[in-house]
Amino acid sequence: MKPAVSTHQLTKHYGRIKAVENLTLDIPEGSVFGILGPNGSGKTTTLGMLLDVINPTYGSYSWSGSASKTENRCKIGSLLETPCFYPYLSAVMNLKIIATIKKAGHDRIDEVLKTVGLYERRNSQYRTYSLGMKQRLALAAALLSNPPLLILDEPTNGLDPVGIAEIRDIILAVAKLGKTVILASHLLDEVQKVCSHFCILDKGRLVHSGPVSDVSESEQRVELGATDMELLRETIKAYPPLIQSEEEKDKVIALIPIDKVSEFSQFLSKKGIIITHFLTRRKSLEKQFLDILKEQQ
Amino acid sequence: MRRLFNIEWAKLKYHTPFWIFAGLHIFILLMIFLSAKFFLDFLAGKGEMINDVIDPSRIPVLQFPDVWHNITYVAGFMKIVLAIYVIISVCNEISYGTLRQNIMNGMSRGEFMISKFFLILLLSLSAMVFLLITGLAFGFIYTKNIELHEVIKYVEFLPAYFLQVTIYLLVAFLLALVIKRTGLTMGLLILYTYIVEPIIVFRIKTEWIKNLFPLRSINNLIRFPFSKYLLRETQDYVALQDFGIAMAYTALFIYLIYLALKKKDL
Repeated sequence: MKPAVSTHQLTKHYGRIKAVENLTLDIPEGSVFGILGPNGSGKTTTLGMLLDVINPTYGSYSWSGSASKTENRCKIGSLLETPCFYPYLSAVMNLKIIATIKKAGHDRIDEVLKTVGLYERRNSQYRTYSLGMKQRLALAAALLSNPPLLILDEPTNGLDPVGIAEIRDIILAVAKLGKTVILASHLLDEVQKVCSHFCILDKGRLVHSGPVSDVSESEQRVELGATDMELLRETIKAYPPLIQSEEEKDKVIALIPIDKVSEFSQFLSKKGIIITHFLTRRKSLEKQFLDILKEQQ
Repeated sequence: MRRLFNIEWAKLKYHTPFWIFAGLHIFILLMIFLSAKFFLDFLAGKGEMINDVIDPSRIPVLQFPDVWHNITYVAGFMKIVLAIYVIISVCNEISYGTLRQNIMNGMSRGEFMISKFFLILLLSLSAMVFLLITGLAFGFIYTKNIELHEVIKYVEFLPAYFLQVTIYLLVAFLLALVIKRTGLTMGLLILYTYIVEPIIVFRIKTEWIKNLFPLRSINNLIRFPFSKYLLRETQDYVALQDFGIAMAYTALFIYLIYLALKKKDL
């Protein structure tokens, strides 16, 4: 797959602080690419450089195609950190300005406002909006020119659970159209649900990059509950291929080789355990993320 | 270009302070012009000492052709009102984060600069058109025998005023970009305009060095006109040398604005 954007040794220093250090990265076209990292790891700085609002100290990046960087930005829908609009203008007026900047028509304004659920309030001044509504308008602005590439930095900031789910659906719908989405977030759950590829930044350095499917590996997490929890715990500990087990309030989590799931369940019932809860889980991205960061230190 | 003007106009159209400052500027200028006329008429009725020398009400301040030189000179003091609006506009773009957002959405930094030049040109051009209308109105009201060559004599002070205001607004744009805070930028511009530069210029003895200071040089485009009523020698034209220095400053400020925008992390 050819990259939608590649960076080459992209570096940004703020005085002594190395916000981004030698970042060389390819983001495949048509992927939903998650950029993960703890607070202050350089996610926003990296996206800021890709969007030309931050001048790199060193290094370069290039978009696929021959258009200039300014033309490219017209074709990118972006949402970086906090939403920024003219507070004295309505949603419609703000979007008109953005459409003019992007050299796009005004005909999609009503459509994107309906998509993000702001159509009823379209003529209210931006300053009267709640944080969640502001974030929705920022997403509407990103979708406005029907861009082939979306850059979203913490798009679910300040949204209620319904809003978060809606944004997830919007991202998935956009991805289904074959568009590229770059998503920076510290909400790993979020990234795991929508992303096809991801990378991890830590203190400005790239520590991991690859498809999300790599994360599911040879191990299988199984969540268990039984009528007799005491017996369950002891039996699990006695199961020979067991890798690791964790105990939680009313369940036990067992880590076993991925090809042993059915054998494991047979083993338990042979021991006379009545199972009330049995759930297989991929090792979560969160776990993987923490492991990778731990390896770094 | 059309696109950049449309973007800036969409930002201005519903921005109440824009109309307030435009209205305030017109109001202040009209008040000054009218009160000057009333003041001279008032003087005419008083103090016989003045009346022995000259009848103040007959000084042709608002008559053709003097009206052009006089009103552009006086209006030059009020360009701070327009400069404050430019500062508000630019500092707002920074504090709202919309400058950054505009760039991310697909403007280049150069295009942003040009869109703000449209604001500056709009302000200085409409100020000049306002003076044209006011000058014509005063001239036709107060001039007894109107002759065409008298009407258009000294009309060159209108483009000189336009240039003066434009350069001053460029200074405001540059300061706003560098300082970023509305109040602080306004304060520093006022301080520099009315205190710092006048003091420095006053302390310097050499005339040609004085004339190289930015605000002094743009004010030189329209020299003090009223001395001619005391029969002193008065420069009643725009000197080529003053025009040259002003143009050099225009180029310099545009370059510095571009540099400030280019280097900036938004």
